[in-house]
Amino acid sequence: MTRSNRFTVRSWKPLAAIAAAAMLISPLAACGGGSGSSSADIPAGGTDDGTKLTLWVRSDKERQATNVAEAYNKSHKNQIKVELVPSEDMEGKVGTSSQTDSLPDLLSGDVVRIPYWASEGIFMDITEQIDGLDNKDDLQQGHIDAGTVDGAEYTLPFFTDQSVLVWNKDLYEQAGLDPDKGPSTVEEFYEQAKAVADLGQDGVAGTYVGGQCGGAAVFMTFPMIWASGEEVMNEDGTKALLDGGASKAVFKMYRDLANTKNGIGAGSQVENCSTWTTPFANGKIGVMPYAGASVATLIEAESKGGPHIGVSAIPGTKKGNGSSFLGGDAVGISKDSKNAAQAWNFLQWLTTEDAQQEAFADKGDTASNLKVIENGYKDVDERIQIANGVLKNGRTPVSPRFNEAFNASGSPWQILLQDQIWGDSGKLKADNQAITDVLAQ
Amino acid sequence: MSAASPQSQSKARLRKRPRSKAAMAETRRGWSYAAPDWVFIIGLFIVPIVLLVVMAGSRWSLMGGNRGWNFPENFIKVFEHPLLLKSMGFTLKYTVIVTIILLALGLGLALLVQESSKWNSILRTCFLLPSATGLASASLLFYALYSPQVGPVTRILSFFGLMEADGSVLATGSSALWATTLVIVWRYSGYYMLLMMIGLQSIPGDLYEAARMDGAGTWRIFRSITLPLMKPTIVMCLVYCVTGSILAFDQFFIITRGGPNNETLTVVQLIYSFAFESKKDLGMAAALSLLVLVFLVIINSIQMRGMRDDTK
Amino acid sequence: MKTPMWKRVVGYILQALLALLFVSPLLWVLISSFSPQPGSSQIDGWGINNYLTLFGFQEGLPRYLFNSIVVSLVAVVFSVLVCTLAGYSFSRFNYPGRNLGFMVTLSILMVPYASLLIPMMVWFKSIGLNNSLVGVGLVLTLFQLPMSVFIMRIAFDAIPKSLEEAALCDGCNSLQALVKVLMPSVKPSMVTVGLLAFLEAWNNFMMPLYLVSSENAPLPLALVNMRSQAMGAIDYGITEAGVVVLMIPCAVLFLALQKYYVRGFMAGAVKG
Repeated sequence: MTRSNRFTVRSWKPLAAIAAAAMLISPLAACGGGSGSSSADIPAGGTDDGTKLTLWVRSDKERQATNVAEAYNKSHKNQIKVELVPSEDMEGKVGTSSQTDSLPDLLSGDVVRIPYWASEGIFMDITEQIDGLDNKDDLQQGHIDAGTVDGAEYTLPFFTDQSVLVWNKDLYEQAGLDPDKGPSTVEEFYEQAKAVADLGQDGVAGTYVGGQCGGAAVFMTFPMIWASGEEVMNEDGTKALLDGGASKAVFKMYRDLANTKNGIGAGSQVENCSTWTTPFANGKIGVMPYAGASVATLIEAESKGGPHIGVSAIPGTKKGNGSSFLGGDAVGISKDSKNAAQAWNFLQWLTTEDAQQEAFADKGDTASNLKVIENGYKDVDERIQIANGVLKNGRTPVSPRFNEAFNASGSPWQILLQDQIWGDSGKLKADNQAITDVLAQ
Repeated sequence: MSAASPQSQSKARLRKRPRSKAAMAETRRGWSYAAPDWVFIIGLFIVPIVLLVVMAGSRWSLMGGNRGWNFPENFIKVFEHPLLLKSMGFTLKYTVIVTIILLALGLGLALLVQESSKWNSILRTCFLLPSATGLASASLLFYALYSPQVGPVTRILSFFGLMEADGSVLATGSSALWATTLVIVWRYSGYYMLLMMIGLQSIPGDLYEAARMDGAGTWRIFRSITLPLMKPTIVMCLVYCVTGSILAFDQFFIITRGGPNNETLTVVQLIYSFAFESKKDLGMAAALSLLVLVFLVIINSIQMRGMRDDTK
Repeated sequence: MKTPMWKRVVGYILQALLALLFVSPLLWVLISSFSPQPGSSQIDGWGINNYLTLFGFQEGLPRYLFNSIVVSLVAVVFSVLVCTLAGYSFSRFNYPGRNLGFMVTLSILMVPYASLLIPMMVWFKSIGLNNSLVGVGLVLTLFQLPMSVFIMRIAFDAIPKSLEEAALCDGCNSLQALVKVLMPSVKPSMVTVGLLAFLEAWNNFMMPLYLVSSENAPLPLALVNMRSQAMGAIDYGITEAGVVVLMIPCAVLFLALQKYYVRGFMAGAVKG
């Protein structure tokens, strides 16, 4: 044994630190029960007594969260304080805080991560309160389902972010396409993207893909598969079904574009989620599936000289209604909140039509109350209405292992996508099986 | 080399002599000056490490907390993970490349600018300025530089025909590796230059003069005076650089995310992924951390043995 | 030995090119932060809109700067103090436990900080340092110890023992010898240690992310939040402005302190 090695090991032993650490661990073992107040003493409408509430939001939802907090703070004694957490670090921050009982009063998170959070006891059980809402049936059901474990309900919808198809009307015009008509099938998607690619302009490409970003890639391609009448996973989310005919057609379409000069934008193959919407926003991309939540931003940019855009549902291999990936964030009261009644006051306010109108519809964002979706967008841009219209055909895939199989960097889904578009497309069966292996754990 | 090793002389003295009152007093004084260091080590380092050891032996999920002892299950799961070997191989490759470049460049720059002059002080400042950026800022900065959309690097390289115009420097494993290495070399060269300069200053000037009077050339002086006397510094830089590279995280986390297709996945990224991304299993993450720690202790003690032999 | 003129000129040109290579990314970021870019606050023409956005984000730039200054001060003060004393101890005294201390200090380097976050947070909570800027400063100091103790040890090693012995004979105790006789000689290294601590504390965002809430966030953490406000888009304008704002104090300190460490380096060195 070398000297430093022996020293290092020996130094750890005699120290009282071990005792101290042991003391640390014992309260941890008991954690999970939560130290905050309980949901039993929450009045139906919550309490509005001037309490300061903290709300954690991932940083890419800064704009929407600020709108919500402003609207609530204006009309209530309670005050919401939004704390941003860098999107990539959200999971770690929530995990660490959960172990030290220091979660905020209100916690929001990506809807595909919520099933895991809920099953680990991060949220307070508010089944009684949610079921007591008069307008429960008007709410985006997927976000409530995501936070439902064994019949206990933990979350309500916070933001809805559906995927939609967008195209650049300016580029379409230059390419001789009808700027008011986007693709209605996967095949037309290919033709139109190729027409833009053939313009041969510097930096302009037909479409763009989040090649190293599993999250963006499911957002883009799953709706194409759903709209073709096929499934991506079996019902309980334990088996991947991405080797079907529709999947093959979708992947082949992207592969053909990748083999076309300027077919898929520069950087797509290595796009790691940081900038997957940027090239389109900068007017460099012809047509691509996009974040519905960012359509409002695009329209705003349009009035300031940005590209002119068209919006539709994401098409499948045959003509139809198209489909959408219903993503976004759900919100619940954390297990550590000492102000559950006040937090509930915020949540129940959030579900009301007035709140949804003011905080979302009037700002051009997607509401989570279906009544507001129907009635609240009379005055807004028609394209926002189109973007909202896709909700009824949209889906949210639910699997406790979804994140590991699809979203995590280097996930088996990412490998499948890379093989299908740029690599060895013959590996579809094996790559699909690799996803199943993770889902089935 | 008398002046360079006062402590080894006194060490020899100490061994021969029985422990005296003076030695006791020296021990007391030595410990009291080191006390603040120890307070930090025990208070902020050893306690978390002990907790880490406990985690490695327990079923401990990210959100669910501690669910009891399960040693050695976490270690087995780590060894069975398909990406472990790949990430270890990549980390070692990266470490070798970065260490060679950084140490050579650090020493080279230090020799280049050690003489005091206005010109050298400008050079020194230029080399040091990148160290003033945080690693995260530097990584972001280069992410922008490499971006085919806003950065100039793709355009410059494709102008010289070194890559395709619509490609990306991060598109293949090896180019992504070099792109990341460049960030680290840019960020840390000045830093290692500074450390090397501190080492150079401890070489007595009269040694050089004596050698010069004996008619030794520049290369000869470098080999027989600078290098041997710099050995403690170089070994220390080696330890530091190897350790830092094996623990590389931020730059890959921001620039490549382990991509393309896990080609640039480092061991610490795998730890991060175990803990926060894919497995959400703190037990597995802690187990891998401990393995890395043991590995580092072993290779660093081998490296430090090199330093000790020379000071005798 | 006289080098021919043309060789010297070529040497200067090569050196200048090398220096330019090092500085060019910084020049690029400085220029880009004022330039028009789609997807940033500065869309049309050149201007300071990125900086204005930065100024008004969430808690506001002054608050973030204040937090950064507190964290940096704590880290600098403790690093210089602890490392000078420890370097003195490990270099000048021979006692059982000396090598142990040095090795354990070095071993701090060998633990990936990502895996210490959770134990650290649990521990901080129980000693009352959670959500405290001082706590963040102390953790950052911890990670400075290995390198900086080493730097100070080398610095003390380089001082001839006779200097200190003379002082001790004059009736000084070891602390007086340290402060009066040795410290002036190791001042350049102390400045270096302080500078390194400042750079790390000023730029680090991972520790504050886990240890403090957003009103205590220092500037780098705020910047990370700022650059990804929209899904799938990085606001490069803000990022560039942020890098510049973070850079300025560091660059100024470098320039201001250069005379200290240069003087130190020149004590014994002749070109080899």
